[in-house]
Amino acid sequence: MAVRWSVIFSIILGFSPTSRGDELFRTFTASSGQAFTGRVLSYEGQTFYIQGKDSKLYPVPFKQLSPEDQKYLIQIAREGKIPKGDPRKLSTVEKQEEKPSVASDSEGTTNSRAIAKPKPSFRKGSFFAYKPVNLGQDPSLAMESKNVVSLPGPDEPVDFTNHVLPILEERCQSCHNAPYDKNGRTIHPKAGLRLDTYEWVMKGNLDDTVVEAGSLEDSYLYEVITLDQEDDMFMPPKGGALTAEQIDAIKRWIEEGAKPSAGGTGNTASDMGKGISFHNHIFPLIEERCLDCHGEPYVKNGRTIHPKAGLRLDTYEWIIKGNLDGTIIEKGNAEESTLHAVITLDADDPEIMPPKGEPLTEEEINLFKQWITEGAKENPSDTFVQEKKEDISVKTTDKKTVLSLVDQLSKRLKPPSKPQMDAAQKSGALVTLLSDRHSMVRAEFSSGPNLIQDDAIGALSGIKNNVSHLDLSRTSVTDGVLSEVKKFNNLTWLNLKNTSITDRGIEKLASMPYLTYLNLVSSKVTDKSIKSLESLTKLEEVYLWNSDVSAQGIARLRKALPEAKILH
Amino acid sequence: MKTDMYKLDELNRREFVASAAKACLGVGLMPMAGSYIHNSVSALTPGSRPAKARYVIYLNMTGAMSHLDTFGTNPDAPDIQGPTKSIATSADGVFLSENLPETAKHMHNAAIIKTMSTSQGAHEQASYLMHTSYLKRGTIAHPTFGSWVSKLSGSINTTIPMNVQIGSNPAGAGFLESKHGPLPIGNPSAGLANSKSADYLDESRFGGRLALAQKMNASYLNQYDQKQVRAYSDLYKDAVKLMRSEDLKAFDITQEPEQMHELYGKSNFGQGCLLARRLIENQVRYVEVSRGGWDTHDNNFEAVATNCLDIDKALSALLLDLEMRGLLKETMVVLTSEFGRTPKINPRDGRDHWPYGFTAFLAGGGIKGGTVYGKMDKVGRNPEEGKFVDPASLNATIAHALGLPLNDVQYSPSGRPFTVAHDGNPLFEVLA
Repeated sequence: MAVRWSVIFSIILGFSPTSRGDELFRTFTASSGQAFTGRVLSYEGQTFYIQGKDSKLYPVPFKQLSPEDQKYLIQIAREGKIPKGDPRKLSTVEKQEEKPSVASDSEGTTNSRAIAKPKPSFRKGSFFAYKPVNLGQDPSLAMESKNVVSLPGPDEPVDFTNHVLPILEERCQSCHNAPYDKNGRTIHPKAGLRLDTYEWVMKGNLDDTVVEAGSLEDSYLYEVITLDQEDDMFMPPKGGALTAEQIDAIKRWIEEGAKPSAGGTGNTASDMGKGISFHNHIFPLIEERCLDCHGEPYVKNGRTIHPKAGLRLDTYEWIIKGNLDGTIIEKGNAEESTLHAVITLDADDPEIMPPKGEPLTEEEINLFKQWITEGAKENPSDTFVQEKKEDISVKTTDKKTVLSLVDQLSKRLKPPSKPQMDAAQKSGALVTLLSDRHSMVRAEFSSGPNLIQDDAIGALSGIKNNVSHLDLSRTSVTDGVLSEVKKFNNLTWLNLKNTSITDRGIEKLASMPYLTYLNLVSSKVTDKSIKSLESLTKLEEVYLWNSDVSAQGIARLRKALPEAKILH
Repeated sequence: MKTDMYKLDELNRREFVASAAKACLGVGLMPMAGSYIHNSVSALTPGSRPAKARYVIYLNMTGAMSHLDTFGTNPDAPDIQGPTKSIATSADGVFLSENLPETAKHMHNAAIIKTMSTSQGAHEQASYLMHTSYLKRGTIAHPTFGSWVSKLSGSINTTIPMNVQIGSNPAGAGFLESKHGPLPIGNPSAGLANSKSADYLDESRFGGRLALAQKMNASYLNQYDQKQVRAYSDLYKDAVKLMRSEDLKAFDITQEPEQMHELYGKSNFGQGCLLARRLIENQVRYVEVSRGGWDTHDNNFEAVATNCLDIDKALSALLLDLEMRGLLKETMVVLTSEFGRTPKINPRDGRDHWPYGFTAFLAGGGIKGGTVYGKMDKVGRNPEEGKFVDPASLNATIAHALGLPLNDVQYSPSGRPFTVAHDGNPLFEVLA
């Protein structure tokens, strides 16, 4: 038994084949009668790798050897004296692994049973090689400390993330982890107990807590790892007991008050000074409140259910990417970020997110706000790179991703249904979506506009929030129609060219919040309307050619709206 | 609709009305049915974002305009430039020929593609390629770009056509339904032919005649009350609706004040541009205005300067007028010809056919103002900057700005697939 253990160790710990030296040179005889002196290094399938006296490597098919040699090879292979695989490949792998193998070596000698299961090693940079990094910690330092210091020194205070969590990870989480999906079934943690984060460890399960800060007697977690190994409740049930050092670390951690890590994984506002972590602060919130609708696409009753608004929030990359309409996060600028905008709307606003349940608390909103302001980084230690202003090409492409007003409005609404569209067209209006998957519509009276009277607008009332473009040019409408138009809350583009609209009508538009384009060419509007127009601060284009507005009126309007294009 | 496409014959009038009625329902414009794919390709796919332009005015310089003496001057190469000077424009670093002083004031709203090239060096074939994106073949008539616009952009206006061609011989809708083909207007001042009732026929007499016709139909209608029979009387109603429609006034440029006529110039082309603007205002999607007289094998410089008087006045007036009316942002104005003219000046002081490099001028809706794409080398044969842009790509660029689906396949009666811009790719450098 002892021999076998040592052999397994020599494999795990990766002694190079040359340093193994356990197989002696002997003479192999081929079935054809030829003799050959060498020692066997390893085997792969039916091929054995034999090193000759000239230290060259000869792959020899098993079947070509004499029955005696075959017997010998079977024996040593069964006993595990030689490794599997091509020795040339083995040696290169082992060279790369040299460092970690030394570390585990020292551990291994202290207690051979604890690491009976070899930890898989991954190439550098592999996703699986990722190690959790504490809040506010430099990732490279964190990686080193994790590798070297896994157990607390005698006088060192015990740190949850650095000392306790690795033990739980290694010995407990194969059963006590977050629920996951396996072959379509959700695998829940055993006994309903999760030991994957500080919060869960402290929460315990339905029965009770498993850790009582400062009290070993009341901490069930400590009790089960110190039971007699034959006891039914002894933990971990497989792979043997924890080492004395590991038990000691957990004991001291509980005695010291079972505190969270110094860096803190708690969701408290006091952590905010250290930077917001996406994984620790933001994602849990998103997971709880957003993923019901904005998760990854899934299949339900044979239909693929896509995330609402085409927006996925299930990974950092998706959140940053946004949807077809553009990004939802402007790094460094919470006010410009759609994500921030929709969670800070009034609770009774139809567009507030999340649409169901209570709105996010102020504290939660502040977390989002601060995270975006800090640059919406995945890890707090990442540096937030401001856009370089001098690089014109970058600037122009970025500009495209900034949402236009009408796209932002579109995101808040559902597209009108087919019956709604049909009803809207009853008036003689042509109603079209601005584009595929856009919620906003353009309504225009293009056929026989002279027959269109004020009452025609009534048909559009069913979709009034969806109308962003309204073309009433050349129609026979009067000022009265604008009392209805002003109820179109999301109107951005209004064309009243060649109509008999007067100042009394324009008065009614004064409160329209999103109006950016207003065409009053050849209308009856005079200087009296300038006051109303001044209050429309979002205006970007105003066309007043051939109206009754005077040059003074234009000058006044240009002063009030310096950014707008005003043509006269 | 689909069955119509397989018919070799043109639609009869009843089918025309029936399909027009279907089109009026305004069902989804973009047949972009597809799964949710989030990548940059779909972000660039027309239909996924609101279209930047809604209308096109295509100014076609037939006979091949000398690009070197208009929009494609090359001051670095005096050998090929001849006596034509370059002037600065309202856009930094953009130069035009001295023949276009008024247009130069609008270059901040316009882009020039200087590396257009075509595979055809004969007028008819090259013009066909420019208009259809396909080579002229004996076996099929391809739809013109305007017909594609009419077909793919969905109906806006039910009382007047979507596609109008002013001057020159109209090319047709090809294998598409004939209603998508251009409505030809030979003389812009005369308006739409055969659309008015005769002078001697006043309203009451006209009404009386209609009533009489109805009376005569009544017994037949009672006996055969079927959809097809009713469609006949609907057809009459529609025709009367068009005749009485105010929309017909769109074709009547005599309604424009005198200063407007003067602004555009009294030339046929100027008046054509004025009519084009009126039609756009009445939501006609695509208007082409032609101007001939560019085949300057002899005496090129004088002829181009004379032609440019018209062009410059009308084009600048059009851009100004669209801007004042708030239409420029949604109307794309394109000016190009079927190919260019030789950099080498021939012994008759003329320039000959040159398909290897010419220019396209694009302004207004969807265009990145003040841009120039590409630069030809000193002999005017190859691009020094940028790449050659073929007619299909120019059409793809316009189609993209209009939000038309470039990948929407329409089948000819024999089942061959065609798309709006063939194999062209939009030139994003000139698009806003």
